[in-house]
Amino acid sequence: MRNPAASSSLSRLLLLTAALLLASCDGAWTAAEPVFYERENPRRLSEWGLFDLRGAELVPAAATEVFVPANQLFSDYALKLRTMWLPDGGRMELRDGEYRFPLGAVLSKTFYYPVAAAAEPEHSPPTHSTAGEALVSWAPPQGGSDSHERIDLEDYRLLETRLLVKRDAGWEALAYVWDDEEREAFLHLAGADIPLSLHGTAFTYFVPDRNQCAACHVTEHPDGAIRPLAATVRQLQHRRARASGDSGVAILEAERLVARGWLDAAPSGPVTVDYRDPTVPLAARAAEYLNINCGHCHNAQGAADTSALILDDYTSPDAMGVCKPPVAAGGGSGGRQYNIVPGEPDRSILIYRMESSRLDEMMPELGRSLPHREGIRLIRDWIAAMPGSCSGL
Amino acid sequence: MKMPCRSRFPRFPLPTRLAARLALVAPALLLLGCGPAADRDFAERLPQMLIEASPGDVIEVPAGVHRFRRGLSLTVDGVTLRGKGMDRSILSFRDQAQGAEGLLVSADDFTIEDLAIEDTVGDALKINDGDNITVRRVRTEWTDGPSADNGAYGIYPVQSRNVLIEGAVAIGASDAGIYVGQSSRIIVRGSRAEFNVAGIEIENSTFADVHDNVAVNNTGGILVFDLPNLPVQGGRNTRVFNNDISGNNTPNFAPEGNIVATVPAGSGLMVLANDNIEVFGNRFADNGTANVIIVSYHITGLAFDDENYDAFPEAIHIHGNSFSGGGGVPDSEPLQALRAATGAAVPHIVWDGTVAPGREAADILCLGDNDYSGGNGVFVNLDTPNGFASPSFDPLPHGCAMASLQAVSLDAESGGEQ
Repeated sequence: MRNPAASSSLSRLLLLTAALLLASCDGAWTAAEPVFYERENPRRLSEWGLFDLRGAELVPAAATEVFVPANQLFSDYALKLRTMWLPDGGRMELRDGEYRFPLGAVLSKTFYYPVAAAAEPEHSPPTHSTAGEALVSWAPPQGGSDSHERIDLEDYRLLETRLLVKRDAGWEALAYVWDDEEREAFLHLAGADIPLSLHGTAFTYFVPDRNQCAACHVTEHPDGAIRPLAATVRQLQHRRARASGDSGVAILEAERLVARGWLDAAPSGPVTVDYRDPTVPLAARAAEYLNINCGHCHNAQGAADTSALILDDYTSPDAMGVCKPPVAAGGGSGGRQYNIVPGEPDRSILIYRMESSRLDEMMPELGRSLPHREGIRLIRDWIAAMPGSCSGL
Repeated sequence: MKMPCRSRFPRFPLPTRLAARLALVAPALLLLGCGPAADRDFAERLPQMLIEASPGDVIEVPAGVHRFRRGLSLTVDGVTLRGKGMDRSILSFRDQAQGAEGLLVSADDFTIEDLAIEDTVGDALKINDGDNITVRRVRTEWTDGPSADNGAYGIYPVQSRNVLIEGAVAIGASDAGIYVGQSSRIIVRGSRAEFNVAGIEIENSTFADVHDNVAVNNTGGILVFDLPNLPVQGGRNTRVFNNDISGNNTPNFAPEGNIVATVPAGSGLMVLANDNIEVFGNRFADNGTANVIIVSYHITGLAFDDENYDAFPEAIHIHGNSFSGGGGVPDSEPLQALRAATGAAVPHIVWDGTVAPGREAADILCLGDNDYSGGNGVFVNLDTPNGFASPSFDPLPHGCAMASLQAVSLDAESGGEQ
């Protein structure tokens, strides 16, 4: 005698099993070939063919080039693996001092953490791990010890992979969030919150929504166009030796693109200062740090030009905020009078806003929940060594 | 540049902070868990609706309290966000964990109406670089009352053009309730600003009409400022008329370092370094420091290095207003000294007495027919260039008139640059 209820639960079980089998099938990931989607946004990252997921390793597809910029935005100590891909025959051009990418170019940036630092519930007691020390090390630019060519999932946890896709109308930004099993990442237009703990400090890692991607990547506010921040002339004038394959010789990132046949010749300009390089004068390091962390908004055309604080390149002490009162800082002033008081980091609003993690006070506004201790130390040292004073203090 | 005066208006930060903190505790307890039922579904959908909006879309905000953990943003032109009323459709950011604003708009042809934005960590509604902006019957409020922990601005268009704010309500901002900065062609009308540090502030802007508003119980009711070292300056041509500007005596709770933190509690209208200001038909009453204060930027004591900046107010025309009360409890050392010396309330209209090089008193300030009552003196020139040596109460040098300013038109064709 048939029992309809039992039959129904049996079919449900079968469906479930099938779903599980499908979910654990890595077919989509192996022997990846990148694909350009002109219009639709695939729901799964695997559909872009940018990576192989072999066993416990995320490996960029052979057709992509891993690249490391001279300097990176601080993102709560997340590590970042970046890849570039141009469709067949696609070439980059150098125009008006900046790279122009062909239709179909796809840039990816995968955010990941050492395992010991991640996957802890938000309110769990603090854990003290040393596995994350590499995150905060000041590795010299030579040797490439601060970057990976692939990600070992035994040691690292994947959080999200962001894409910049060059379409007809310009670059589009898409964020894919990895599932807990690290078998697939799914498109999240509206962002996501991921509770993490790093060295005993619980914090929320925020995946940006699509407009928040633009908040940093639209560097010239009125025109609304998204631009890459790492795949730029400035950031690719950076020498790096790969962990394997370069015989320990540091090669200019731009030269790797030339070797791929994507670029005619590397720009002739100087190598960009790595803000972590202690052999470089403080002012030059500070300028690079402020450029990459602040300059996307704080430039003469940026969203933060309303503040008249211009940090993308050294222009004048005024523009960098020396003895400049705040405009609309609110609580972000921290009760201090001027953005930078030479010689006095503790009276400088710039330091206050870097040290604060309050939403309405902290700078940058997006992309971090934690203060960047090493960056703060650098900017403190720079201000402390700055000659002069402000009147009225 | 010579600094004629190094005396800012000193305040009393300690009692302010203390009062604000005490005021904060009780309402917080009462407010927990009240209000209409949340529409969780809508709160989850709205961020993506804004991201994927198309020009011409009208996004309806249903009645209810919609709670958000993340800031909202809109970058699509031509979108309308419409609720069911400022007391019915409420976007609550009490649980906000991300984003420096409640709603950040970087788009043209934007309309927001009939809703409230409450308890954002930072600014409630920021509109950066928009053309043709309408904010109608929108309430921005920090519901625990005045506190330095409140966000800086309620309604905050900046570097925008053709801005209409009408029927709005702004409460509790730790800087300005309604703040229009670095913008041109602005109308703020029929709105209410209460318990903010600055009720309504027009800063580094041109062609603004601020009329038929109620600015009460702020630290300063209405401010018209021009500040140095900004990409947009030369603030001028603002008409302030038919407003009720009274009882703005809330202790200043702005974080130090901000320009409004220097505004004395009890300021009715304050004009700082702005030119071509016409003030008429307003009711000024009971602003404890003074009903009207006209000052140059030098009064702040702040250094600046900006060759293009004009630190002096000019062509301020005050006529046809009614004045009563106020000036009895000045939150400013020089004015306290004045009050002690005269034994009388501070006069209704206070001018710091700084005159731009090559100008005369009548170029700076004209006092027309106003209705003065309440026993205060009419006017004082503080003589700040000489360290307050000989203040003058003689309004005669200001017995002049100026041509009326044109009404602001939001039509780009006729709103005209000069």
